[in-house]
Amino acid sequence: MSAAELAPEEEAGRQARPVSLRGAGPARFAGAEGGVGNLPTADAGATMNPGALRGAAQVRDLDSLAHTLFVRIYPVIGAALLFTQCAIAFINYSDTTRIRTEQAQSLAHLAAAAIVKPGWEQDPATERTLQAVVAEPGVRRAVLRDRGGRLLAAAGEEIGPRAPGVLSVSAEISRGQDEGPEGTLALIVSGENLRVFAQQQALLTLGAILVLMLAFVLTLHLNVRRHVLAPLQRLLRAMNQVERKTWTHVDPEGRFRPANEIDSVCLAFNRMVDGLQAGDEAKQLLARLEEAHRQLEAANRLVMESIGYARRIQTSTLPARDALRGSGLEVAVLWQPLHLVGGDYYWMEELDDVSVLVVADCTGHGVPGAFITLIVAMALDQILHHDRLRSPSAILAALDRIVRVRLRQDGRGAESDDGLDCGICVWRRATREVVFSGAGLSLIYVQDGQAVRVRGRRRGIGFAGRDAADPTFEEIPIRAGEGTCFYLVTDGVTDQMGGTGGSTRRLLGYRGLGGIFLRHQERPLSVQIDALKTELAHYRGSQEARDDMTVIAFRPLRPEGATA
Amino acid sequence: MDRISIAGTERTPEVDFDFPQGRLKLGGESYPEDAAAFFGPLQQALAAFLENRERGPLTFEIALTYFNSSSAKALMNMFMLLDDAAAGGAAVTVRWLHAADDDTIQEAGEDFAADFEHARFELVEQP
Repeated sequence: MSAAELAPEEEAGRQARPVSLRGAGPARFAGAEGGVGNLPTADAGATMNPGALRGAAQVRDLDSLAHTLFVRIYPVIGAALLFTQCAIAFINYSDTTRIRTEQAQSLAHLAAAAIVKPGWEQDPATERTLQAVVAEPGVRRAVLRDRGGRLLAAAGEEIGPRAPGVLSVSAEISRGQDEGPEGTLALIVSGENLRVFAQQQALLTLGAILVLMLAFVLTLHLNVRRHVLAPLQRLLRAMNQVERKTWTHVDPEGRFRPANEIDSVCLAFNRMVDGLQAGDEAKQLLARLEEAHRQLEAANRLVMESIGYARRIQTSTLPARDALRGSGLEVAVLWQPLHLVGGDYYWMEELDDVSVLVVADCTGHGVPGAFITLIVAMALDQILHHDRLRSPSAILAALDRIVRVRLRQDGRGAESDDGLDCGICVWRRATREVVFSGAGLSLIYVQDGQAVRVRGRRRGIGFAGRDAADPTFEEIPIRAGEGTCFYLVTDGVTDQMGGTGGSTRRLLGYRGLGGIFLRHQERPLSVQIDALKTELAHYRGSQEARDDMTVIAFRPLRPEGATA
Repeated sequence: MDRISIAGTERTPEVDFDFPQGRLKLGGESYPEDAAAFFGPLQQALAAFLENRERGPLTFEIALTYFNSSSAKALMNMFMLLDDAAAGGAAVTVRWLHAADDDTIQEAGEDFAADFEHARFELVEQP
């Protein structure tokens, strides 16, 4: 019986696929020596190489399992049967021989008793008795001798007592217990049928053994096929499919229940398939994820390159850092957009006899914020160079007007509700006076060991949703004392989320920022800016910065000609 | 109108607008990239509620520790709705909570307070 014969019957209705099972034997599963329970399960599956199944799938002919079982088991059973049957036959034979001998002996005694009477030697009745005895079934010869052993009479066949297949018994002919024997009667009875019987029995046993063998072979094959081979072949087929990453489960319950061990192997295999499948899916998912990541990276690089270019454009709209050289001011600037470009903007310029310093914080940050800064830059150019405005409140009012026009927030159907906070300082060198005007932005100055905040108007510039344009901006003049430091800051600087280690985070606020400025007031402004950056980072701790940050720090220099 | 509850995230505030009880709350930090997208639906829900509500006291409690300027704009829009409702006779109370040493949030509250003409605005300092 070959595997090919098994397949159509067991696998009827299944997806039949020729599987070569040549040269197979009892299936051995790679790594299964540790017991069924040790088969790889889900977690191990992820690392299992699918090729590892190849060794398990190429097992020797499964069908010879039955053959092996037969060859190993049957001779033992056959020999045992043969031995016991022979022993039984031998015992039977001895018993029957003994019984037959006893029967013949009784017959001889009876005949002797019948014969004995005075003058029996010549009595014709003796001859008749002998004939009668020989007529008994199985008695082949009767011989009568006298006391001296002389043959008196005989009946039956002419065979000797030593002839093959005969039993011989004898009885003394005697008148009584006390009398001596007067002769002997010897009987030869046939033992041949006994031997034949024994031979028949032996043959029968042999036949029975042959029948048993046949029955055994058939039963063994049938059972091994149903309960072992068929499930194993299902398992093999599944293994072959799993090798091709077709995730198949083995149905342990086929038409017939498989042996318990195979059942366990099937279940373990199914678990392993689940594990492999999960691992494979995870791998595919990871690959897709990696691909998506690569694409995102590429897209991000593109965007970052683009924004990097935008930054070059935006920085080119900013003034040179030494724009106010010779104006009598020491100046340092921090301009730190959150995302390369931002909504913070500043401008510094010496015009006629004044210096104008502007800090603007446009709504949003990043690219949207940067768009508004360009409007502000254009507007300031017009205001300062075309309109030649020099007072901070007038500059703010003009800026407000231009931004509203530019963003169509002047009643022409604005799509943008954007605007900006702005603070402007004008330094009048002649009078050593700083005039500040602000819209939503504050000026901080440090003088006489105190940090003072000067708030501008609360409302910013632009914004469609607010009330009609309000062109009133207050001007606050501040006399610069010896070493007074001024700081125009955007709210990204004060809005540092961090804290002092408490459970809730706090904003730095103007109070906190003022404290930082106070601590460093004696130092050069560029050093102060560096110190500020360090302190802000320290305050934020693990928190990220959340907004663009701009600071213009300026300090009137000692007037020329003045002596220390 | 149903209650709106949104758990807070790193960038968006915790929202609990309990319209049936007339108690609205905002807490945490608010600096979404697109504030209009986050606050737009809340603002619409508030407007719809104010339009249809039956008379009854309404309290709006804000306990933000940080908000960006676009969130401030969204808050302003909601405050305007509330002040209009108060002008119409509704009993509206806005409670602005700030930590004792947080001058930025306190100042923002003071700024907002100036915009209310009809609703009651309470600046609540918390220890």
